[in-house]
Amino acid sequence: MRCSLSLPLVAAAALLSGPAGRAAEPPLRAVIDSELKAGWKKAGIAPAPRSSDAEFLRRVTLDLVGTVPTHDEAVAFLADARESKREKLIDTLLADPRFARQQADVWDQVLFGRHPGNADATRKRDGFKAWLAKQFADGTGFDRVAREVLVGEQPGTELFQVQFRNQPEEATIAVSRVFLGTQLGCAKCHDHPYDRWTQKDFYGMAGFFVRVVIEETSSGNTKTYTVAEKATGEVLFSGAAKDQQPGKKGEPVRPRFLGGDELTEPPAPKDAKEQQPKAGAKLPKPPFSRKEKFAEWVVAPENPYFARAVANRVWAQFMGRGIVHPADDFQAENAPSHPELLAALTRTLAASKYDLKALIREVVNSEAYQLAGTGPITDALPKHFERARVRPLTAEEIVLSLRTATSFDAAGKPPTPDDYFMRAFGEPTNGLGDFQGSLAEHLFWNNAEQVRVFARRKKGNLTDQLLASTDPWEKRVEHLYLSVLGRRPKPAEVSKFVAFITGDAKPEPRVEDAVWVLLTSSEFRFNH
Amino acid sequence: MSPLCRAGEHLSRRAFLKGAAVTGGGLVLPNWGGLAHARSAAEAATKAKKRCILLWMNGGASQIDTFDMKPGRPTGGPFRPIQTKVTGLQVCEYLPKVAAVADKLAVIRSMKTHSPDHPDGIYHMHTCYKMSERTPHPELGAVIAKFNGDLGSDLPTFVRMGSCGNAGAGYLGPAHEPFSLGREGKLGAFTSPYLAADAEMKRAELFRFVEGEFAADHKAEPFDSHRTAKERAWRLLRAKAVFDISKEWPAARERYGDTDFGRGCLMARKLVEAGVPFVEVGHENYDSHADNFVCHKANMQHLDLAWPALLTDLADRGLLQDTLVVWMGEVGRTPQINNRAGRDHYIRAWTIVLSGGGIRGGQVYGATDADGKDVRDNPVSEGDLFATIYKALGINHRAKHLSGVRPVWLTPEGSQPITELLG
Repeated sequence: MRCSLSLPLVAAAALLSGPAGRAAEPPLRAVIDSELKAGWKKAGIAPAPRSSDAEFLRRVTLDLVGTVPTHDEAVAFLADARESKREKLIDTLLADPRFARQQADVWDQVLFGRHPGNADATRKRDGFKAWLAKQFADGTGFDRVAREVLVGEQPGTELFQVQFRNQPEEATIAVSRVFLGTQLGCAKCHDHPYDRWTQKDFYGMAGFFVRVVIEETSSGNTKTYTVAEKATGEVLFSGAAKDQQPGKKGEPVRPRFLGGDELTEPPAPKDAKEQQPKAGAKLPKPPFSRKEKFAEWVVAPENPYFARAVANRVWAQFMGRGIVHPADDFQAENAPSHPELLAALTRTLAASKYDLKALIREVVNSEAYQLAGTGPITDALPKHFERARVRPLTAEEIVLSLRTATSFDAAGKPPTPDDYFMRAFGEPTNGLGDFQGSLAEHLFWNNAEQVRVFARRKKGNLTDQLLASTDPWEKRVEHLYLSVLGRRPKPAEVSKFVAFITGDAKPEPRVEDAVWVLLTSSEFRFNH
Repeated sequence: MSPLCRAGEHLSRRAFLKGAAVTGGGLVLPNWGGLAHARSAAEAATKAKKRCILLWMNGGASQIDTFDMKPGRPTGGPFRPIQTKVTGLQVCEYLPKVAAVADKLAVIRSMKTHSPDHPDGIYHMHTCYKMSERTPHPELGAVIAKFNGDLGSDLPTFVRMGSCGNAGAGYLGPAHEPFSLGREGKLGAFTSPYLAADAEMKRAELFRFVEGEFAADHKAEPFDSHRTAKERAWRLLRAKAVFDISKEWPAARERYGDTDFGRGCLMARKLVEAGVPFVEVGHENYDSHADNFVCHKANMQHLDLAWPALLTDLADRGLLQDTLVVWMGEVGRTPQINNRAGRDHYIRAWTIVLSGGGIRGGQVYGATDADGKDVRDNPVSEGDLFATIYKALGINHRAKHLSGVRPVWLTPEGSQPITELLG
């Protein structure tokens, strides 16, 4: 927070922040709303109205547990007359076991993306995701999660380091981006053109990873990996990439924390030789571990980068844009849109011992998160957060939501996202978050048996429920809308759907098609 | 504003959707049937800017056994050269039909490139960037699809057949991903609707109604992109007949050669004629580490039919002036002949051939030394080649995009189009 010179204010601040620190600070959700309101006022824009209950239910259920609400959940929530029902719903969803799995999916994508390095080893990450989910379920502070992921020695955590096997430069780029919100990639080959980082900064950071060794043991068809570390080895730096000559060797660079001090480490004994483990044996733990020192530095309270990078990323996860946007590009020329708000989020996160759930609870309880998705602006991620953001569902969310919406599991074994779903829905944006509809996706929606199976009649599923019911078709169309879109249909929608279904002597193919239409609509494809 | 489309197109798409929602009924919709397709394809073809066909010699063709012959030298190999009507251009005796269209060809004998192996060479020669950078660069085809394609057309903007590129659309995004065809132009996965045409039409009409209701108060770009892509997929399914060459094939078989590559070249001709801005056709089996001469003799007998037939057909139809045809692979092959009568990968001095749209044919650019071991004149890098291709197609070779937060350019810094090659 900026210092104020006005005396009464200083006095007030002193009163508010007693020994208990900032105990009297208003709840974060109120800070969020007052900061955003100030922004709207300054920019002269009107925000969207408050979301409808159905809209909110669908949005928050997808964001917190990774699927659309069921028909019954929608009916119950819409009928609930309590003032506090949104807050209550949030509490229920945060306590749901699916919350941990959903957050694990989100962070798995942050840490790996769809194309991690060392693909053979990192393609299947069930173990890693299970470990992450357990941390979210146990409420482990995210600083500890980050530390374990960086060190990679706790069973389940190895794959993060495994993706960078033999590539300390790739580790440097990814770790700086994810955990420090800083783009160092440019400084690999030349000093960064518009940020302060030089190649020396880059290779100073790479020094923390240069000794990492990935060990592989196979038994049968399964391979397991260990993240070990050598006791010696340095990064050699030989100048700008364009000046490279064959045979030029370069000077060793001391490890240095980004924007900070060189690592102090005990001098290696003269004539120190790397111990060679016997065949099949593991590398012994080095007397001094650089990667542990690095992991401790990342999450240390003095580190200026970590807390704000995580706070900004969580904000972006729910609000669309980062306050610094893109969320992993903190630099002088990319100022935060709401600096005071970012400071408040960062402070709260650090003060809560990195309790992500607590931070998420505040964000989704804010009025800003609960704005409607309607209005004239066309941005998917509105700059001033004046309308709900629109994000495509992930491949994982699509499969879960198809199952929920059609009561698929009542009729058979649930499918898991297979290669086809990944290919059709895995990468719906151009890498900058801009959604682009693709031919491959729509050919899949339109013609794939893998999609049709959700709409085709099967005992107990949605299509079957609709056909077996003896209610008037108006009522059954309402059931359809509540099941798939979590809302009641408008009168025009009811009459259109009733006419469509009853327009043929045999209703079954028409009902299947009606279900398909809602499943493939943009209202279903996105979280909005 | 989405980088995908110009404002005008956007408006018309919105108007189109609105109209569809209001009128319903299906009958009034454009492009919904064979006849309507024929009209819109022709419109697309006239609207399209310059097009490109890439003939991809997978594995890397030998320059010394094709366009940069070294008769009488230790590296020369057994093939004899034949003279073309272009001064200074002799080609292999197994390429007589190619020799006959030499006035259309610009032969670059001085390629000097940087990625010596297959996955990285394939990537590099499709993107003009090194694979190891890990920036998701788009392929040539995706760039041309973006700049010269019309997403409102019935057909995909980037089509490929056989062994081809490995980079896809990269940072340009899913809208520009390639549409792959199998052998004999067989369409890929999920291109056969399970519904009968009339049921499909009724279902589509209900979809448009639902979208119209939602669009009334939901204006965000992604919704629009979703339904636009769905309409594209439907139009493609309706226009599927374009990919059926069985009617044309009997008359063309002899000229193009009865091979997958021959059929691919005929398909490419048909697609650019229908307005597709980029088609890539792979030709297999050039990676001749052993028995180079057996391999190349066999390959050239296929190549010598399909390629000249394609150029001639394009010229006869008045399409060649707007269609750039590129002949290349990921690497050249060593001048030295190894002890298995093979030639290995070589990137210090090799050959690529351009012809058609924007290119001044009937010339040789650059030269190698007597044994073909090094470039003697005018070395050409990947970046220079791509800058030349983009220039010929009317695309700014230094157009800037963002990959994540990094600015990236279509060609690396310092790349220059080769003006001598441009018509």
